[in-house]
Amino acid sequence: MADQLTIRETAAPAVGVRVPSANIYAPQWRNFVFVAPFLFFFTTLLIFPLFWGMWLSVHKADTFSTGRFVGLDNYVRLFHDKVFLQSVWNTFYFVLLTVPTLALIGLFLALCLNRRTRTAAVLRTLFFSSSVLSVTIVTLIWRIVYIPNVGLLSTIYGWFGATAPAFISDPSLAMIGIAIATIWWCIGLPMMLFLSALQQIPQDIYEAAALDNANRWQTLRSITLPSIKRTFILVIIIQIVLQFQLFGQAWLMTRGGPNNLTKPIVLYIYDTAFRRWDLGMGAAASEMLFVLILIAAMAQYLVTRNKGDQA
Amino acid sequence: MSAPATSIKGRAFGDRVLLALVILLSIIMIAPVLWVIGLSLKENAELMANPNSVFHAPYTLKNYINTIGTSSVFRWVLNSIVVSGGLTLATLILSSLAGYGFARLNFPGRNILFVIVLFGLAVPEQAVLVARHQIFSMLKFHNTYHGLILPGLSASFGVFLMTQYFRAIPKELDEAAMLDNAGRFKIFWKVLLPLTVPAQATLGIFTFLGAWNDYFWPLISATKKDMFTLTVGMASTQTNFAQSEGIGFLMAQAVFAGAPILIIYLFFQKYIVTAVSGAAVR
Amino acid sequence: MRMKTILLAAVSASVMMLASPGFAATELTVQRFFGACDADFGTNTDVSKAVGECGIMTSLINKFNADNPDVHVSVTTVEWPGYDQLTAQFASGDAPDIVTIHESVLSDYQSKGLLLPLDDVLKSVGVTPDAFTDAARNGATKDGKIYGLPIDSWTMLYHINMDLFKQADLVNADGTPILPKSVDELLAQAEQFKQKTGKPYFVQNLANETALFTRNLYTYLFQQGSDFFADPKHVKLNTPEAKKVVEMYKTIFAKDYTTKGLDYGGAINAFLAGEGGVQLNGTWVVGDYNAQSETNGTALNKGGYAVYPYPQLFDGAHAQYADGHTWAVSAKEDRTAEQTAAIGKFLKFFTDNDFDWSRTGHLPAVKSIITSDQFKALPHRDTISAVAELGRSLPPEVERQFAIQEIIGEELAAATSGQKDTDAALADAETRINELLANL
Repeated sequence: MADQLTIRETAAPAVGVRVPSANIYAPQWRNFVFVAPFLFFFTTLLIFPLFWGMWLSVHKADTFSTGRFVGLDNYVRLFHDKVFLQSVWNTFYFVLLTVPTLALIGLFLALCLNRRTRTAAVLRTLFFSSSVLSVTIVTLIWRIVYIPNVGLLSTIYGWFGATAPAFISDPSLAMIGIAIATIWWCIGLPMMLFLSALQQIPQDIYEAAALDNANRWQTLRSITLPSIKRTFILVIIIQIVLQFQLFGQAWLMTRGGPNNLTKPIVLYIYDTAFRRWDLGMGAAASEMLFVLILIAAMAQYLVTRNKGDQA
Repeated sequence: MSAPATSIKGRAFGDRVLLALVILLSIIMIAPVLWVIGLSLKENAELMANPNSVFHAPYTLKNYINTIGTSSVFRWVLNSIVVSGGLTLATLILSSLAGYGFARLNFPGRNILFVIVLFGLAVPEQAVLVARHQIFSMLKFHNTYHGLILPGLSASFGVFLMTQYFRAIPKELDEAAMLDNAGRFKIFWKVLLPLTVPAQATLGIFTFLGAWNDYFWPLISATKKDMFTLTVGMASTQTNFAQSEGIGFLMAQAVFAGAPILIIYLFFQKYIVTAVSGAAVR
Repeated sequence: MRMKTILLAAVSASVMMLASPGFAATELTVQRFFGACDADFGTNTDVSKAVGECGIMTSLINKFNADNPDVHVSVTTVEWPGYDQLTAQFASGDAPDIVTIHESVLSDYQSKGLLLPLDDVLKSVGVTPDAFTDAARNGATKDGKIYGLPIDSWTMLYHINMDLFKQADLVNADGTPILPKSVDELLAQAEQFKQKTGKPYFVQNLANETALFTRNLYTYLFQQGSDFFADPKHVKLNTPEAKKVVEMYKTIFAKDYTTKGLDYGGAINAFLAGEGGVQLNGTWVVGDYNAQSETNGTALNKGGYAVYPYPQLFDGAHAQYADGHTWAVSAKEDRTAEQTAAIGKFLKFFTDNDFDWSRTGHLPAVKSIITSDQFKALPHRDTISAVAELGRSLPPEVERQFAIQEIIGEELAAATSGQKDTDAALADAETRINELLANL
């Protein structure tokens, strides 16, 4: 912060003295050099594969042989495949389970831990710590929680003579089991984002509210929440995009079962392209995922833009 | 006078409820980890006979000794460090350059290019994965470090973040130098880059953690044990407990695999926290 | 003088460096499942000391490395069955030299020209096809050539906790377990078992499991003489025979005659902890379970451990589903003569040491071993050797058998737990498999 100030002070006077003689913001080819390295990788590793994938999706392609053109066959098959439709629903269901929960628990924790005490600091560290673990460790931990016999859950239930719910095999619980593990893993980021948003709120507003004898609920509703509205939306966007790409947890905890009830789109792609060798259909499914995320991103963009205008 | 008194009382009660909730959540956070550590300190045979044996002695370090002696977990940690570190460094360089370019300089087609880069944000990795895998096969990039690092370089998030950050820096700061016709790179390097350290930290940490935790690409690209990253390596041993050295050993390996990044986190948590928070500022 | 010595030293050093590749061991990459157990057997070369699939496999490869200083085998252990990874490796041209492949899967890779026919390699080390049992040789032969060195034949078995069987009064006068002879008997005995012991008759890994369901279905379809794969490109599963099997499993599930919610490892733990009477698991655990039963204080030590083929529950010919493990060799153009020779040595080694592998519980693939007294003297072989005649596999022309296994397993799991109607599940399984096979 101090550095920033000093630079600002030294730089500021210069502005007043000089008058722009030439338009320094005129388009110039040599400026392109700065973006070229990134654009090179962006084009070769994202844009090109994107089109290659589209090309693949209209071909009958096998992992080991070049394909022939089949038009929209792969897409037709895709939409007749109950498993694919199931996986689309599963993905939405998972997003629905995790994103609101992550946002609300994250906000709750941020509100509770936004203080300067040592305990709060320790707890903040604790709640963020799981986020640095890799997905394979998280799933290992949670499988150990869920598995019968040696599992933490079954041990705890055992003390009360009860049988623990079968979180990775019961059809109605499996996705919830994955969602719980995911929330445990991902809760740190929303909490941190909310915390930093809370710290941006000027203290004097709260002081004024305190003078007005506003109670906590009133303060929360009329000051805190409106001030972090943008962050709330940011958290939702980040989480939707992240959770839409569910793969590791489902693959490692349930393999997509029971009967594909926890198979998300990404796992369907993996299954089709790399396990069933049906590259064309896998590519077609990839395109569908792309379209879905694009729609979500557009919707989010429109929503945030409108909110921005109002503010 | 009575009204504030009740509100304080209510506040105290409310505080207690909140505290209880937070404590409950912290227990949920920490109990699974303690359970894993507990299991890692027990003999496999004893665990199988009675899981409740976690709560009493004898404890043993055998699983850890075995892990140190035989597991490839060290190699995987090393691979993860190389891949995540390499990707982070490269991403910081590319994103800073491009961010500066898009935010401060003008060149033909800048706006349309920026829109295309933004559009890249909406392209999930999985949408290009099948094609990418084929391309990398042809180039013989699989099972190499660059094969693991390169895909991450196409992510637009860093460019987006850095562009936003550069835009937020007051123009007065570098306009003078620009009018002086100082080299653009010199301005970038001397004047603006030092100001972006918070954003660099944010981006660096996001990139590092993202790469550290990436599972899908390494799963299909790194197929040789020596090239496994930690995520793939851990996965390769975990699915079938019965086919491995038992739960205790697996748990010890998990603790081993999780410990380095947790320790790094605890050491640098101040920076990490500020960095992550930094993402919310803009 | 001094200059000369230095020069000489430098020259000899560079000669050494140039020559050193000649001394270096030939590198072979081997990829296998069977688990990792380096903690216990990582350096063990005394194979007779090893127990269980993982221990014996690890020790065998250690021994091979020790016996052959001119060859160095580096092993990658993959999670079972490892085909996702293998496919990705083949796709990227990075396949291991030698890899474990099930007989039922060989044709998937063989049909794409990814595997090396082994006839010549085997001949060069003096192994002829007639060394193998009929089942093993047929399983490994595609288009008249051997594409994998068979190391065993395996099948599923009834692993029995005799202590609980005694409590359930399911023991004959001669001490052998009473096993059912029909579906009705099975259900009645399971009920009796549950009443007397308070525990489920079956210990099954039903959680996110597909292989067990499928193998059971195949077995009981064989036992009814159902020719469900008459056309290798088209399965018939929506049949009365299949329905009978599913209905049986539904009853077992609904009446709590089985453990639920256990995954593979969990089921093993549960059986070893005495949580149920019969575990349905493969030949590969016989060695481990027998070792457990000889350890004081274990659940299997209490009343003993017995193991039997699946009982004949239907009125067809007695049969059960079987498969086998092979070592397949990837087709590589740039392989040197030394490497091919080293591969030959490796395959020969496994043929020669097939007895040790059969100690896992698998049936040996080598004829001279299955008939040897040494093999017959192994525990429980008197009861399980019958599976050599009972074993049946799917027609070898059926491709993607593991993908099919997954589809069947998923649908059957849904039907068994009552999540899906039996007819709908069988119809869906049939459609999905046929769709898969039609689009190869």
